[in-house]
Order: sequence, then C-alpha cells, then structure tokens
Amino acid sequence: MHSHVGHLALYSAIVAVFFAALTQRDRREQLRFAALAWAGMTGGVIVLAYLMFPFPR
Amino acid sequence: MPNPSGRDVQDMRASATRTVTALVLGWLVPGAGHAVLGRLGRAGLFFAIVMGSFGLGLAHDGKLALYTDQDRVLTALQVVANAGIGPVDAIARSQVYGDVTYCRPETTDPRYKRIVDTWRARQRSLVSIYGTAYLWTAGLMNILLLFDVWDIAVGRKG
Repeated sequence: MHSHVGHLALYSAIVAVFFAALTQRDRREQLRFAALAWAGMTGGVIVLAYLMFPFPR
Repeated sequence: MPNPSGRDVQDMRASATRTVTALVLGWLVPGAGHAVLGRLGRAGLFFAIVMGSFGLGLAHDGKLALYTDQDRVLTALQVVANAGIGPVDAIARSQVYGDVTYCRPETTDPRYKRIVDTWRARQRSLVSIYGTAYLWTAGLMNILLLFDVWDIAVGRKG
C-alpha cells in the first residue's frame, strides 16, 4: 500500500485498538475509546496537514 | 514486625515465579504474559495487534535498526524499539541481513557490504518510512504490554 491516508487510517486503527484494550475493561468503553482515539489521530493529522499547507518547505 | 508464616513465604515465592514467568513469556511471545495471568481474550488480541504491526513493518521494507558509533543514542533507542518484540526480531534479522546482527559492522568486516547494502536498499524503498514506524510501534507496544503484565501480576491492576 502506497497511500499516505491509507497508512494513516491503518496505523491509527492499530494504535487505537491497542490502547483501548490496554486501558479500558468494559467492552463498550473500549469501543468508545478506540473510536475517539482513531478519530483524534486521523482528524488531528489531517487538520495539521491543512494548517501546514500555506508554509512551503 | 510480624514474621511471615511458612505458607506466606510459599505464596510469595509462587507469586514471584508467576510474575517472572509471565514477563519472560510476554517478551518471547507478544500477549503470552497476559495468557499466563489468565487473560486469554486480551492475550489473543494483543498477539494479533503486535504481530500484525510487525508483519506490516516487514512487508513495507521497515528498517531493522543497526547500532552505530556515529549516532549512539538514537540508534540504540531504535534497536531497543525493534528488540522489544522479542526473538521474532532476531529471526527477521537473520532473514533480511542473513545474520542476527544489531550493530553496523566495521568496514573491514566481510559482512559489511551485504548488511549495509541490504539496509540501504530497504531505506531507499518508497514505503520504508511506513514499515519502520510499524516495526518500532510493534516493539514499543510489546514493552508496554510487559509493564501491564507487571501491574496485573503485582495486583496494581485488577
């Protein structure tokens, strides 16, 4: 897979599920935590990418 | 101060043995530490996540770090992140480099060209940066799992 966005989504999913299982005990809480962590990571990166857009290297 | 009874000492020894066993097995096989402590569901999930991340790392030409004298701190941290996953990292190194090596060989070493050429070829790959992130993440996740196993074994986590 060569897609940046694809890897962003996949990597975020792996990390989100891992920390949900590690830190939460209740299944419902795990799902909620994983969804929030995944959305936070992917959304945060996309927002950051747009904020950096006006600044060339 | 009360002396522990023979029974208490036996229990403490059994508990210490179980903790050490869980930690060692947890490093050898991701998730095995949780299995030893009776958390089979989580053990299976952690095994799948950590080994899945490791497999993605290898499939995407992730770099298996080599310690060098030129950049001691960073390369040492990279090697620790890789080695956190356990012996499977050594197996991967033997397959990728043809040798279980954690240090960049000297230029006079006959293995130098083979190992460094392989390392550079992986670095040049377009997907290597993703693969390296997956590899480091797998090792670091397994190290975090060992801390979790410790917390469960000593009763800090229910």
